[in-house]
Amino acid sequence: MIDSIIIDGLAFALPMFIMAIGGIFSEKSGITNLAIEGLQGFGAFTGAFAMVILTNAMGTGTQVPYYISFLVAAAGGMIYSMVHVILCIRFKANQVISGVVVNILAMALTSFLTRRLNLMIFGETSNKFILETSVRYDVPVLSEIPFIGAAFKRVYPFEILIVIIAVIAWYVMYRTPYGMHLRACGDNPHAADAAGIDVGRVQMIAIVLSGGLSAIGGMCYAYSISANFSPDIYLGLGYLAIAALIFGNWSILPTLGACLLFGFARSIGHEVIKNLGMPSTYNDLVRTLPYVVTLLLLIFFSKNNRAPRALGEVYFRGKR
Amino acid sequence: MDNYEYIIEMKHITKRFPRIVANDDVSISIKKGEIYALLGENGAGKTTIMSVLFGMYEPDEGEIYIRGEKVNITSPRQATMLGIGMVQQHFRLISNYTVTENIILGSEPQNKLFGFIPHVDIKKSNAEIAALSEKYGLKVDPLAVISDLNVSTQQRVEILKMLYRDAEILIFDEPTAVLTPQEIEFLLEIIRGLRDSGKTIIIITHKLEEIKAIADRCAILNHGRLIDIKDVKDTSTTELARLMVGHEVSFTVDKEEARPGDTVLKVENLTVCNEQGYKAVDDVSFEIHSGEIFALAGVAGNGQNELADAIAGLKQVRSGKIVLDGLDITGMSIRERIENGMSYIPEDRQKVGLIMGFSLKDNLAVRKYYTDSFSHHTIINDQTFDEHGKRLIDDYDIRSSDGNSTIVRAMSGGNQQKAMIAREIDMKGKLIVVMQPTRGLDVGAISNIHKRIVAERDRGAAILLISLELDEVMNCADTIGVIYDGRINRIAKASELTVNEVGNYMMGVSRSEVKDGRDDMQKEGGEGA
Amino acid sequence: MKKLMVRLLSGEKHQMFRISVFAVVISLIFGAAVLLMIATNPFASYLNLLQGSGLAPKRSYAGMRNMFTDFMSFLDAMTPMIFASLSVMVALKGGLFNIGVSGMMLVSSFCATALVGYSSLSAGIARPLVLIIGIVSGALVGAIIGALKFKFNINEVVSSIMLNYIFMYVLTFFINSYYLDPVSRQSINISDSARLTIIDIKAFGLKFDVPLAFILAILAAFIIRFVMNRTTIGYEIKAVGLSPAAANYAGINIRKNILLTMVVSGALAGLAGVTYYCGYVGSIQPGVVPGLGFNAIAVALLGCSDPIGCILASFLITVISKGSIYMSSQQGVEIELADLITAFILIFSACSGFIKEYTDKVERQLKEKNFNEKKGGAQA
Repeated sequence: MIDSIIIDGLAFALPMFIMAIGGIFSEKSGITNLAIEGLQGFGAFTGAFAMVILTNAMGTGTQVPYYISFLVAAAGGMIYSMVHVILCIRFKANQVISGVVVNILAMALTSFLTRRLNLMIFGETSNKFILETSVRYDVPVLSEIPFIGAAFKRVYPFEILIVIIAVIAWYVMYRTPYGMHLRACGDNPHAADAAGIDVGRVQMIAIVLSGGLSAIGGMCYAYSISANFSPDIYLGLGYLAIAALIFGNWSILPTLGACLLFGFARSIGHEVIKNLGMPSTYNDLVRTLPYVVTLLLLIFFSKNNRAPRALGEVYFRGKR
Repeated sequence: MDNYEYIIEMKHITKRFPRIVANDDVSISIKKGEIYALLGENGAGKTTIMSVLFGMYEPDEGEIYIRGEKVNITSPRQATMLGIGMVQQHFRLISNYTVTENIILGSEPQNKLFGFIPHVDIKKSNAEIAALSEKYGLKVDPLAVISDLNVSTQQRVEILKMLYRDAEILIFDEPTAVLTPQEIEFLLEIIRGLRDSGKTIIIITHKLEEIKAIADRCAILNHGRLIDIKDVKDTSTTELARLMVGHEVSFTVDKEEARPGDTVLKVENLTVCNEQGYKAVDDVSFEIHSGEIFALAGVAGNGQNELADAIAGLKQVRSGKIVLDGLDITGMSIRERIENGMSYIPEDRQKVGLIMGFSLKDNLAVRKYYTDSFSHHTIINDQTFDEHGKRLIDDYDIRSSDGNSTIVRAMSGGNQQKAMIAREIDMKGKLIVVMQPTRGLDVGAISNIHKRIVAERDRGAAILLISLELDEVMNCADTIGVIYDGRINRIAKASELTVNEVGNYMMGVSRSEVKDGRDDMQKEGGEGA
Repeated sequence: MKKLMVRLLSGEKHQMFRISVFAVVISLIFGAAVLLMIATNPFASYLNLLQGSGLAPKRSYAGMRNMFTDFMSFLDAMTPMIFASLSVMVALKGGLFNIGVSGMMLVSSFCATALVGYSSLSAGIARPLVLIIGIVSGALVGAIIGALKFKFNINEVVSSIMLNYIFMYVLTFFINSYYLDPVSRQSINISDSARLTIIDIKAFGLKFDVPLAFILAILAAFIIRFVMNRTTIGYEIKAVGLSPAAANYAGINIRKNILLTMVVSGALAGLAGVTYYCGYVGSIQPGVVPGLGFNAIAVALLGCSDPIGCILASFLITVISKGSIYMSSQQGVEIELADLITAFILIFSACSGFIKEYTDKVERQLKEKNFNEKKGGAQA
């Protein structure tokens, strides 16, 4: 039972973590990013579409389409994130509104396209791209360790990918010139500009990165909890990721903690219901747990939050 | 090698903004190794023309030559590559970065981890910055975080930023506005040192003494036009002032002897904490009487904002008492204080004093909208709003494109300030708390506002004037209090203190020390003349 | 082109209205482009939208039905949209972004359904009760969001999204456990006497629905407009919305106004909920966050944050969403197209601030240029 709590908790938390990392990049550069929800959905859509096409072409015997689908998802998310870039940076729109707009467009666009593509290519009327659930591995040796070994049992390949990306993300953020420029833009874009940094460009790259990372997160969910792409992917997990990064104070490691908390809240709930033999309708109550935990945590912790100083500020060059 | 006469030549520069021509056909030429001053009132176009040179704005017309070559400067980055650096009036620093990180930002030295993973070489940078600050005598700790540093140290960081980028042309925009007289002296020394090491310096200012003290030549701007260029040593201060303003000016405020009456405001052992929990105001006590202007002098960030906000009810008090006309108002809401006769002109008119998206008449009614004649059973009486607005607009000469219905955001800064002052003075309160009332205004407007404040005093109001401008304090005050690090360092009759003494108290020098040093400092004593 | 755009959109008179119209036109052009791409006639499709909304005659009607039937049904669908957009608009005026309309709609309609919908109360009591329950429960949710905002500094966007999902799942649980109609997989239809729409009235030889709350929605818009523009309550809410620091300085109670704004916004969202689920639809679909709450954002933005603008924008968006069913059946296109066009409208409305500034700037430049040319001409 403990094993499945850890296994399911991680499988839920890590995709959220990678979305939150994307969010941290965007918000640390000064751009409020509520668009994560739409970005992950759009990414999952492109990835799932690629997967469906590739499996049709290459058959089911190979793992290649699986990995390609992640690349395609990331590319899709990055391209789609340009909508947020254009609205926020080019058209100086309110970033909160822009984020919501991007999400609504993603929902409408992907539902429409899924139906359309299904009809055009497969001649079916369906609003889903059916995927298979991802394969899972036991990490040799490590998974044998009692108790914590569960963290290495039945691991999705993407979980490992996410951990690697997280390390790289930390390095980029805190050790490279780009990371330094990015954090500077979020604190004082005027100062960054005066130092010769192209604020718009830094922010654009940050949003696009966040698009790619969110998309990978969305693709993970498509492979794990739903085993398909359908409009049901818009479960608000992107918003949960935002709550996680707020709770994690815009730093990568504490944000991981927040994601794990949400993940375990959920998996514990499911286990409890399963073990007590309650009817499956109770699962709907369990599904509220991550959201409830988020709210409670925000109540206790958001007072001493320190958001990036220039977060959400529309940057005008000439403004003095 | 230098086959050019001037290191900088700006020819026929014109820069337009919506509704205003900021620079109108301005031409200036600057020699290598001189200190060149740009003199003019606020809004004269000094900062704009330097922003053009620094690549922040592109000029609508005109040409720029650097070292004899025509250039087209489109960004600060390009200006930096041409060897131009600028310290802006509002420092451009990242508050949560260290000194080193701020200086190297945008041109970070890089190293490769394991020979291929790029990263910022922060260790090497720290050493470099330490060496650089040593070389120019600009003492800073490379590892200190900006938000922990005081203004004058932050300014040194800004200067180092330029030097780190090998700037040869250094532009300073109002560098002394936020410094004490002693810090100013120190800064001018640094600037002279930079000139002596071969740098070309441009200094933007409206302070004549500084120009006399340091500049070689001086260009005078007024309303975007170049009025004249003078050799400073051949020109008198009064001549410069006349050129700057366009007519003769007197620097002093005409006022009669104060006739203080009863105590109106009594602050007792007041302690106020800032957001970080630091005691920004620490055990402060003072009294203000009716018919008295109590001016609080001090360097920015020594607790003035917190004190004013606490008196006005915008900030909670940790301990102590505030008594207004015999009534303990310490725990009262903002509105109760207003109703008991307090007016407050805050420093930040755009964020606090005015609702920028409201119309002028709505802003002018902001203190009274809920009272009887302005609304009845919550339903607004438009006529009263209109009449009230019109009256203040006429009385205080508030200019705007659409009168009452102008959105305040669309008004000029000076007129916004006038609107706010009109509204607060019109309350005919017992106590008026005034913070930095003349910041960003031109000389004419300043003297007008000073007259209004004196008139209020003569009407019998008690006035707490909080100012960072020492001139203003010396000119207006009946009583001077000096605040340093949240404590009142000295309270005395204005006539008993000299400018230099006040400056010393602002630096936190104790009273006995000031007495000893009195004879040594006479230099700036005649400032008012 | 540039000049034409400036001519059409600059100048102060009704500028925001004209920009909104511009946003709609551009969006419809985009939508037409999508329709063309999937080889569908956009004109016929847009005509279908009007026909489906009872604004243009269809070729044939079933017995006892005509355009009027469709139009009444259209008004029925438009009623909750007006309430929902007013809810978003009031919050925007107070500086808050209420994305929780959907959750509020679910809560209010569920409360009304569970408490009154299955009772045997007479229509005269049941219907007002449904409205009151809707108002009160919506207002309560609004109060929660407001309190979280000012007491704990929780961004209303985050909290309302969390609440949306919490309510959705909790309601799904209750509906699935206690109120499920096994055939429709929705909650059991509420009784006709509690329903805010009178279904299938027969009069003048016709069958049609009567949306009882439509008048109430129009009335609400005018009341909100009056309160916002002509009372000190609106004055305070707008002051807090525009600048909390300045409002505080003016002695306005920020907390009270945040709470008040959210309570009013919640009450309106509650009305949207009951008019939708206990009026237009008659039952609640479990497991779904209603998209109407999000479309309401588009409507409020498009309506330039003016109540009357909201009515007009509701009209338009309802034409698209309501008419899309007919369009879908006639043209064989996906029903999701309606959401897509709505999303386009939302995007261009989000840019309206930029469009305004841009046209103002170009206008100034053109004026200056003309002025200079004239000056140059005079000199020559």
